[in-house]
Amino acid sequence: MTAVLEASIVEQLVAAIAPVLGEANVLTSKTARYSRARVPAPFPVHRWAERVPDLVVLPGSTEEVAHVVRVANEFGVPIVPRDGGTGLTDGAVPERRGIVVDVKRMNLIHEIDLENRTATVGVGISMLKLNEVLAQHGLIYPDNPASYPCSLVGGRIGTSGWSLIGSRYGHSRDLVLSFDMVTPTGDIIFVGDGGGRKISKSSSGYQLKHLFMGHQGTLGIATTATLKLYPKAEAEFSAFWAFDDYDVAYKAVGALARAGIATFAGAVLFDEKKVEYLRRDDEAYIPQPESVKALVCSVGYGNSDEVAAGGRRMMRIARDLGARYMGDEISQGDWASRHDRYATPVHGRTLSGQVALMSWHCEDAAINYTDLPAVTREWHAIVEKLRRKHDVFDDWGMFAYTSSDTGVDYLTEIDIGIWEEKLDDTTWAAFVDAKREIAAVSLKYGGSISACHGSCREGEVDLVPQELGGGYDVMLAVKRALDPNNIMNPGKYGLDRAYDNEGDRR
Amino acid sequence: MTSFRYQDEYTTPPARQITPTTIERFEHVFEVDPSLMTDNVAQQVFPNWDTKRIVAARWDHLAWIHTHFADSVISGEELLRSLDD
Repeated sequence: MTAVLEASIVEQLVAAIAPVLGEANVLTSKTARYSRARVPAPFPVHRWAERVPDLVVLPGSTEEVAHVVRVANEFGVPIVPRDGGTGLTDGAVPERRGIVVDVKRMNLIHEIDLENRTATVGVGISMLKLNEVLAQHGLIYPDNPASYPCSLVGGRIGTSGWSLIGSRYGHSRDLVLSFDMVTPTGDIIFVGDGGGRKISKSSSGYQLKHLFMGHQGTLGIATTATLKLYPKAEAEFSAFWAFDDYDVAYKAVGALARAGIATFAGAVLFDEKKVEYLRRDDEAYIPQPESVKALVCSVGYGNSDEVAAGGRRMMRIARDLGARYMGDEISQGDWASRHDRYATPVHGRTLSGQVALMSWHCEDAAINYTDLPAVTREWHAIVEKLRRKHDVFDDWGMFAYTSSDTGVDYLTEIDIGIWEEKLDDTTWAAFVDAKREIAAVSLKYGGSISACHGSCREGEVDLVPQELGGGYDVMLAVKRALDPNNIMNPGKYGLDRAYDNEGDRR
Repeated sequence: MTSFRYQDEYTTPPARQITPTTIERFEHVFEVDPSLMTDNVAQQVFPNWDTKRIVAARWDHLAWIHTHFADSVISGEELLRSLDD
């Protein structure tokens, strides 16, 4: 556990930063610091105090961010970027305390280029707010996570986010064209495809954009981004189908994903445990007959005539496989709710069936279509074993969601209810062991530990070197070269080992 | 114009058992069976109007989301019927 900074050092940091950012934008109050100590992923709350930053800053420009980073280097104090704070792998958690850089003041729309279809924004803007403005021009920035109303563009860059409609429009890495970046030493660089701010494909130089996306704040802080825009869809189509049998539903989701429908934006398979969970508490599914054992959802976006034609084809594919369409009310309502999962109140059940307030943990992986049934079985067995041993966990089922337009791989997720208030060191350790086992299954089947959330948390992070092999050594070399003082979000991804023993001190 | 009568708002309609773990007091509004919420969670006194307000607000929110992402929503029921045309 990192010790709290001495008050005299905090005072010196404030004295060095406040003249540039303004006193109102350097926060040391308990409320400002404690509210930026965690993300939605459940954790043992009795250890909350271990991860509280020493101060919080709210810079208003790239230059101000660079100043803060240079001060952090001068004092040898950790620095942690924080955008919406909605990431599920603790990227925004100040595990070594230090300075949290909250980017929310950098939320301006600098330019909307109607001809080239781009927007240049401060990374502190949310996609929802941006799209309210873009809608006036008939445009949309279609990066659409389950945290859509509250996550920010900068966090999507730092985590290389996954989008619900990524099979149609791509994910954050495809939609962000370029950005300004403050490196761990306080330099300001431009990152894109080649040198142009609005270039979607360049063959000039190393392709650094992917390197500076998904690093979970360990390689710097993005400040201004240029984004790719699409026409706002004339029409949306979403369908939910019920199946009596998981295996048939599995065939259906594969057939829908492989159908080559141009407006196809995603397909989802919900397994029996997920149906069982929905049947407890979800208005749409409580009245469903017991024969329903699995669900499939498929969605399309685009021009009205194209979406209608694509939707018709989806309907035929599902019907031919024996699916029962669940009706417009459920299909449209359930799909709409998926843009805003962070607003979902959650409660689980103990083994006795009693309700307990539980937080939502979602463990994810990228799994090929052919391995989904086996991974589903093995993950449920791990969670069942955990649950039987510690009655503070609940299995909320699994889903598998297409990541691309060909159906090659799926964001595969098991949702676990965790009675967070009851977590102690023993149950937390058991949970971490389970997470490690879940990650090991993903690797056994040739998948990746995470398609969406990242792999920084205790448990799965232990297996990242195994997953990446020699690539992990490159990560260590890059980290050491760009962040010689191990200032930028230290402790994440096991990157301390890039510094031998020196880095462990931070 | 409607009036607020305390007695009316704090007297819930009789519950109908929908599933072994769920009851229904208002049409299409399902609630966890209160017998499952005795050990770990406290029950809150809730006026009827607030239950209806929350349900209505959720529908408003979902309708707003549809409009936010697309100009129109295509009916699956209509597409399904068209397969047989």
